[in-house]
Amino acid sequence: MTDTTTIATPSIGLTLRSLLRADATVIARSRQTLILNLAVPILILVITDRAAARPGGNALGGQASGVMIALALAYGLLSSSLLGYSITVARDREAGVFQRLRVTPTPTWAIMLSRLLVQFAAAIVTSIIVIVVGGIMHHVSYGAGSYVLIFLVALYGAAMFLGIGQAIVGLIRSTTAVNAVGRVLYIVLLLLGILGISGALGDTFTNVSKWTPVGALITLFAAVQNTGAWSSDDTWSTVAIGAYLVVFSVIGIRWFQWESN
Amino acid sequence: MSTPTDRPQPMLAVEGLVVKYGARTAVDGVGFAIGRGEIVGLLGPNGAGKTTTLSVIEGLRAPHAGTVTVDGVDALRHPIDARARMGVQLQSSGFQPELSIEQLLRLYAGLYGVRMSHREALDALNDTGLERESGKRLKNLSGGQQQRFSLLIASIHNPLLLLLDEPTSGLDPQSRRSLWQRIENSRRGGGSILLTTHSMEEAQAVCDRIVIIDHGKLVATGSPAELIATHRDDPRVLALAHGEPTLEDVFIALTGSDLRD
Ligand SMILES: Nc1ncnc2c1ncn2[C@@H]1O[C@H](COP(=O)(O)OP(=O)(O)O)[C@@H](O)[C@H]1O
Ligand SMILES: [Mg+2]
Repeated sequence: MTDTTTIATPSIGLTLRSLLRADATVIARSRQTLILNLAVPILILVITDRAAARPGGNALGGQASGVMIALALAYGLLSSSLLGYSITVARDREAGVFQRLRVTPTPTWAIMLSRLLVQFAAAIVTSIIVIVVGGIMHHVSYGAGSYVLIFLVALYGAAMFLGIGQAIVGLIRSTTAVNAVGRVLYIVLLLLGILGISGALGDTFTNVSKWTPVGALITLFAAVQNTGAWSSDDTWSTVAIGAYLVVFSVIGIRWFQWESN
Repeated sequence: MSTPTDRPQPMLAVEGLVVKYGARTAVDGVGFAIGRGEIVGLLGPNGAGKTTTLSVIEGLRAPHAGTVTVDGVDALRHPIDARARMGVQLQSSGFQPELSIEQLLRLYAGLYGVRMSHREALDALNDTGLERESGKRLKNLSGGQQQRFSLLIASIHNPLLLLLDEPTSGLDPQSRRSLWQRIENSRRGGGSILLTTHSMEEAQAVCDRIVIIDHGKLVATGSPAELIATHRDDPRVLALAHGEPTLEDVFIALTGSDLRD
């Protein structure tokens, strides 16, 4: 230790670099989470591929492989951005990780920004893997422009799910309750999406499910894979995702508490 | 190097602090000051309000009334500037469980504005007797090692003010003494220390001055010798003392002998 005392507040660049390195390490070390993020999307791709390969068979309700890949992408993001984010934030809040960070001269927005940036990176990685696996299983490939659009939609969808995740940790203080609500919401959104696409529960159900967060995201993912045909539904899905993003983020930030008790 | 007397302004000044949890008043008008280079012990039974008082100084909690000044900086108005001047060891330290202690060290060094290479991190861990643990997670360290690590993080930037909440609780006598030595050493840089403890032996061994609080109120303040001298003829002390009154006799006489937990 030297004899000098540090008084100047640290530069924000060094602060963010330090936080990003730590948050990226944490996420990379959570292998279990990463595998779970990919398990459901890849399962969807495998099942729909098998179904389509059966003689006379087709994927869920006769949907094109583009929709199946869209479904898989949406679930990858749902799991990593909504479930992964809210559970880690709740856990770190209860374990006092935020408390420990907040007694350093770090602005709270930097703590959150770093976490969000790392989540966006994870969303992109998840999307790349799903797109590659989906392309192989369903024998599709895209032009460079489509890839760019797919990743833009992935970021947009990730932002919406992070917003919903933020709302969950904003409204619920208990870690156990965040875990439970996150998982229930995951399953509900998963079923809404799959049942909606399959058309199994009728047109009304399909029409409603189309405008849920997952439904709108699937519409948008399907649209950007097939750039030729942009419909008004696609536009409205874009608007719906933006609305979910804003509303849930505002709720989540407004009511967020840094302490669990 | 500054000595306690060459600058009149205290390192920490707390005045008229009031903190409520709902209807319950946890800190009720506490005020005290710490000079430069001074080590002060904040003593009180469980629930007296020690951790709450520290959390206001650290900027984690807004008080209902009162002021906190750190090195002349209004800590309630400019928490980031105040935090840049302090190092904190929380009662329950929440460190990310996925990170190794070297990664944690470099994270917190960065957050305090100290650039630290891999080599420098290992050197710092070496000084703390943790060089062989650098790749380990904190939970795999012994209690003494964990507390040493926590103290290292708190003092990584040679803070003007070090706040330690029960730094030696649960340690064996060897670890306790080695930690006292480290606490004593960290004031050589000219910084002041405020620590809480339940050990009268520790208070006498490390602290220049003691502040006793109970039920959120200031009960007594002075050097260990002064406290004993002032209260030695108090009938409550006489009733407790076996022979020469000790600091513990004075402490129990002032705070009562009923159990708090
Ligand atoms: N987050 C909290 N919410 C409600 N009450 C609290 C909280 N933290 C502490 N208290 C209460 O405030 C009082 C002082 O607690 P604390 O400052 O932790 O005492 P100490 O550190 O001296 O043991 C206790 O009665 C405790 O139960
Ligand atoms: Mg305490």
